[in-house]
Amino acid sequence: MIATLLCIARDEWRYWRRSRLALSLLIIALILAIASVFVTHTSMQLEAEQRTHLQTLAQQKFADQPDRHPHRMVHYGHYVFRAPPPLSSLDPGIDPFTGTSVFLEGHRRNGATFSEQQQSSGLSWLGTLSPAFVMQLLTPLLLIVMGYGAMTREREAGTFDFLKVQGITPPYLIAGKGLALISAGLLVFSPFAIGAIWALINGAEGSATAMFLVSYVLYILIWSSLILLASTLSANNAASFSSLTCLWIVLCLVLPRIASNTATVVVASPGKLETDFAVLQELRKLGDGHNSNDPAFSALKSSLLAKYEVDKIEDLPVNFKGIVAQKSEAKLTKILNQFSEKQMQEAQDQANVARQFGWLSPAIAIQNASMKLAGTDLENYHRFLREAEAVRFSFVQSLNKLHAENVSYTDDANKYKDHETHHRAKVDAKNWQILDNFHFTPLAADQRISNSQLPLTQLLMLFLLCCGVTFFAGKRV
Amino acid sequence: MSEIVIQADNLCVAVGSKKILNNVNFIAHKGDVLALLGGNGAGKSTTIKTFLGLIPPSLGSAQILGQAVHQNTQLVRQKVAYLPESVMLYGHLNAIENIRYFLSLGKKPTSEQVIHATLEKVALQPQAWQRPLGEYSKGMRQKTAIALALLREAPILFLDEPTSGLDPVAIDEFNQLVTQLSAQGVTIFMVTHDVYGACHVANRIGLLRDGEIVDMFNAPENGNIDTEAVHVAFAQGGRT
Repeated sequence: MIATLLCIARDEWRYWRRSRLALSLLIIALILAIASVFVTHTSMQLEAEQRTHLQTLAQQKFADQPDRHPHRMVHYGHYVFRAPPPLSSLDPGIDPFTGTSVFLEGHRRNGATFSEQQQSSGLSWLGTLSPAFVMQLLTPLLLIVMGYGAMTREREAGTFDFLKVQGITPPYLIAGKGLALISAGLLVFSPFAIGAIWALINGAEGSATAMFLVSYVLYILIWSSLILLASTLSANNAASFSSLTCLWIVLCLVLPRIASNTATVVVASPGKLETDFAVLQELRKLGDGHNSNDPAFSALKSSLLAKYEVDKIEDLPVNFKGIVAQKSEAKLTKILNQFSEKQMQEAQDQANVARQFGWLSPAIAIQNASMKLAGTDLENYHRFLREAEAVRFSFVQSLNKLHAENVSYTDDANKYKDHETHHRAKVDAKNWQILDNFHFTPLAADQRISNSQLPLTQLLMLFLLCCGVTFFAGKRV
Repeated sequence: MSEIVIQADNLCVAVGSKKILNNVNFIAHKGDVLALLGGNGAGKSTTIKTFLGLIPPSLGSAQILGQAVHQNTQLVRQKVAYLPESVMLYGHLNAIENIRYFLSLGKKPTSEQVIHATLEKVALQPQAWQRPLGEYSKGMRQKTAIALALLREAPILFLDEPTSGLDPVAIDEFNQLVTQLSAQGVTIFMVTHDVYGACHVANRIGLLRDGEIVDMFNAPENGNIDTEAVHVAFAQGGRT
């Protein structure tokens, strides 16, 4: 049985070797796969080194600031960079579309900036030539060109009946041809697998990397089954090729667009301008944190005076301006976080709706599985934003604490009156060592695997469905 | 009486409402050469395809070595070799590669020498052996398919218009080969509209018209079927 399957598969390979088109396409796809793995790996490694370097530099620059008023340091700000995970060298995911760094400063929750998309030409919406792009979009196309005639060629040449008389049943023939097609897919996949091993050496977790590779193997199996199914059911080569090309367009290009459009319709989210206005409106209610005389802080003032049993804020053991800054930042952050969480939840809900289309399209399922397992998906991006915000809040409040405890109210209020007071309103530069080393890491491997259950199940179901239908179609011809 | 190898028992084949074969009955014993003669559309190829398990009978049965073909298709196919009218081998492979491939599929791997000897036996010029079949003439492809059928060492041969497209010398060589195989105990079932060729090699001839056997001729002991009688019956559309 195995010998017969191998015999059929070997003959299919012989046919491809002698058909220049198939061989040329296979070589081109292989070169493309190798090039994409090499280029993306190099660029992501460079990117990782650069971001790590910039992170250290940002921390160093912050720490190297001279003696200053703490609130000036709040506005001086700090940068955090998102270091790409090792598997991003194969699937950069949403990395090129989202920002790579966040500028952290007081009273603001900035979005990530410096995305590859913002800095590149308009054509890059088509997608970068990443290994994931080659595997997800181009490999099925190559398999279609190589395999559309697998069964119809036999039918057109009349060898189909002849093979049957030789005792070769159609399911056997399909399985043998499938073996050849899968091996062609795996050949193009091999640079990708080598890239994954390289990522493993560079720190990617074994279990996530293994699942990452398994998901792509499933994807190749699904497309091989679909191609054989179309070839089995089509009357001739032309019908098989055109139906498969249409299928590729629908599954790889149209359905992902429909999925994202449906998601935005099903989960409506307000535009940026609308959100910004709403945030501004809420923030206005809080009062001005820079102004300790703002009526919004009169209750705070009264409670502090009562607590320390003094009559004037000048007599407080803490700087009232610093306390106001602390309280104001906490309230402001709460509101900013509410809006930000709402926004992230909406994006997450939209992504969840779009992911359901993975039951229909293996391309959507593999995109989701791949990004989740590589740690380059939306959830990881949101994690980065949350972690960045935690860093921001922590360092701003640390500075506000310094403001409240290390600068007297009188000096603070009169800091622009004379040079001496101005100098006293500053704190020592050694206080700038408040920043922890920020290093963003994606979710742990088991968490990523658990999060990718849906797309992996979708891939498995599609694989079983395609195999089952192809087998039954084979039995009926 | 030797064993019955091929038997059509009230065989009927219909495609939709159209009857292609209607109550066809015949028998071929071991070593027989049974030829089915008929014009275009008489149902000759359908008869062969039914015996090969490619078309199911609507009524009756097609049996090989006592086994109903449609119930034991794979088992029966192991016993038969088939030579189609238009030879269906792979154009991108040469004669030897085609033979080796199909023999491997049929789990009958054969040595290079045996393949060469068989190709010589069917008179395919050695200089053509390494050329892709796509460059062959119909006769050369026919010879390759015959060589393959011989190498399968099947006890039953189904031949669909085996001499169509062959030159007179090749036809003569082919007829000799059929006689030789028959003498070795191979049962041969052929459909043709070549009356003279059929009379020359067959010991039983059935005349098929509109899906029915209208006449059956048997060769006398150590003699050939009367060509004239068959020709007249064929020309008159059967029933002499």
